[in-house]
Amino acid sequence: MSMSLSNPNVKQTIPAMPGTWTLMVFALTLGAGMLMTPYDPTQADFLNRLATPSALHWFGTDHLGRDIATRVLYGSFWSLGLSLGVVSIGAAIGTIVGLVAAQNGRWVDMILMRTTDSFFAFPELISAVTIAGLFGPSTMNLVLALIVVSWMKFARLVRSLAISVVQQDYILQARLNGLPAWRVLWQHNLPNILPGVFVLWTNSWSRTILAISGLSFLGFGVQPPNAEWGAMLLDGKAYLLTAPHIMIFPGLAVLFAVLTINLTGDRWRDRLADNI
Amino acid sequence: MNALLTRLGGLVTVLFGISFITFAVTHFAPGDKALAIAQARYPGEMGFDAEILEGIRDEFHLDRPFISQYLHWLVDFLTGDFGRSYSSHSKVWDIFAGNLEETFSLAITALTLGLAAAFLLAGLAVWRKGSLIDRFAILLASVGAAIPSFWLSILLILLFSAHLGWLPAYGTGTLAQLVLPTVTLAFWVMSSQTRLLRSFLLEAYDQPFVETLRLRSVSEREIFFSHVLRHALSPALTMIGLDLAGLIEGAVIVEIIFARSGLGSLLAGSVLARDLPVVVFLVMFFALTYVLINTVIDLVQTFTDPRHLAGERNAV
Repeated sequence: MSMSLSNPNVKQTIPAMPGTWTLMVFALTLGAGMLMTPYDPTQADFLNRLATPSALHWFGTDHLGRDIATRVLYGSFWSLGLSLGVVSIGAAIGTIVGLVAAQNGRWVDMILMRTTDSFFAFPELISAVTIAGLFGPSTMNLVLALIVVSWMKFARLVRSLAISVVQQDYILQARLNGLPAWRVLWQHNLPNILPGVFVLWTNSWSRTILAISGLSFLGFGVQPPNAEWGAMLLDGKAYLLTAPHIMIFPGLAVLFAVLTINLTGDRWRDRLADNI
Repeated sequence: MNALLTRLGGLVTVLFGISFITFAVTHFAPGDKALAIAQARYPGEMGFDAEILEGIRDEFHLDRPFISQYLHWLVDFLTGDFGRSYSSHSKVWDIFAGNLEETFSLAITALTLGLAAAFLLAGLAVWRKGSLIDRFAILLASVGAAIPSFWLSILLILLFSAHLGWLPAYGTGTLAQLVLPTVTLAFWVMSSQTRLLRSFLLEAYDQPFVETLRLRSVSEREIFFSHVLRHALSPALTMIGLDLAGLIEGAVIVEIIFARSGLGSLLAGSVLARDLPVVVFLVMFFALTYVLINTVIDLVQTFTDPRHLAGERNAV
């Protein structure tokens, strides 16, 4: 068994379940839905407040009469898009820090890694609540707070991968052949590091979706009337007893998105483990 | 010995780094701190004389440069002086100690329940590998990792408080009010541990010693309880230790959702009220707890398995 931490039997037990294709179908459905829906995600319709699911409003309407299905669709832009941006920026920062630490000598490495360790000590959600709360709850501050807490895992992973790659014979050969350092880095190091980064990236993406919706639900993130899934749940909290349908669909959307991304990441990780 | 010293040096550096980051974030947050203190001190009043604000700036050294304020705070912190809350004037330590128990009891109860469920589920899954139970365990673990805990708590409130009326939805004090937050948190522990435990157990079953024991006609029950479980326990303990930090964080969030008193509600309230001494202390507490847990895991690993000391420690 080469995959020590991964589930060795995931293939037998979850046969050919969601993968890259599911993710693409998911994205296409969301896009098509946004184009086809007749409703506006922020337009109030007071005659149809708190309507239960029907043929006209598939998921019902909320306390302002807005169509929940439309808001869930548009919410994907906030929840999926925003988190994608956050994770990608975090991954880029972390990768650069990790590569620089691995390539350079003891002091640079030590300073960068101790900085990484220091940032690592702050629990993600607690620092996000603190930063977003102190700097004022807004989408921009939420994004900044999440970037601040997202890059360290990438820095650690890239550094340890880069160090193990540097010790490979073909890197030595490339250097002996007189290739400049940046070309060794770009052509030989990076291609061997990226698959691992990619798996961590999917993992962090789903975690960030949970973080964004959770923080918005607590009031520290995306602010109403924007149709972020967590913010929608916060909106519906006051109507928990009278109109519970408001609380069901945005939560299901988060669950489904995170589950799909996690399973996709699992499959990529297993494929990667097979190739090594 | 040398490796231990290097590590100790790294630890001290990280602790300073943590204190610096914490102080810098709160220091550079927007808003007039003197005004925040004045508003907390004289509730209800809106306008303040420049004199009063000046006096406050003087009292809290707000005029000094950042580094001087940081060092001043750090010396106080290291000597055990954590300051007083802007709003209630009580000592930060007393406020913290008063809230610690709520969070701690929630976290420990949830950890115990969640781990018990995880061991049971993973054990059953491995016992009948590939069976319905096994699939159910994997499904539960996958869904549990994807379900937002705040949404799970809403569903629980809808079912048990609103629909069935068995349990109270919010608040602190009675045992009944502890049930739903504990279940939410325990579910998270269970789903994150079941999957890991299952693969650790399967891995243990793949070891050659299992075959040897079978050839010596040791009963399956004894193989599982005295050998396989033991073998899987060491990596499992590491993962559980790493999860403790997440558990405290989870407890904080669950507390805010269920409006329970405790460190979570204290943090959210202090952040919104800009009660900086309390915020700084709490953030420091969470970060130091994380470092402490990691150091303990590190040491335990070093003592139980000397290979860890020689190798790279930045395993991801």
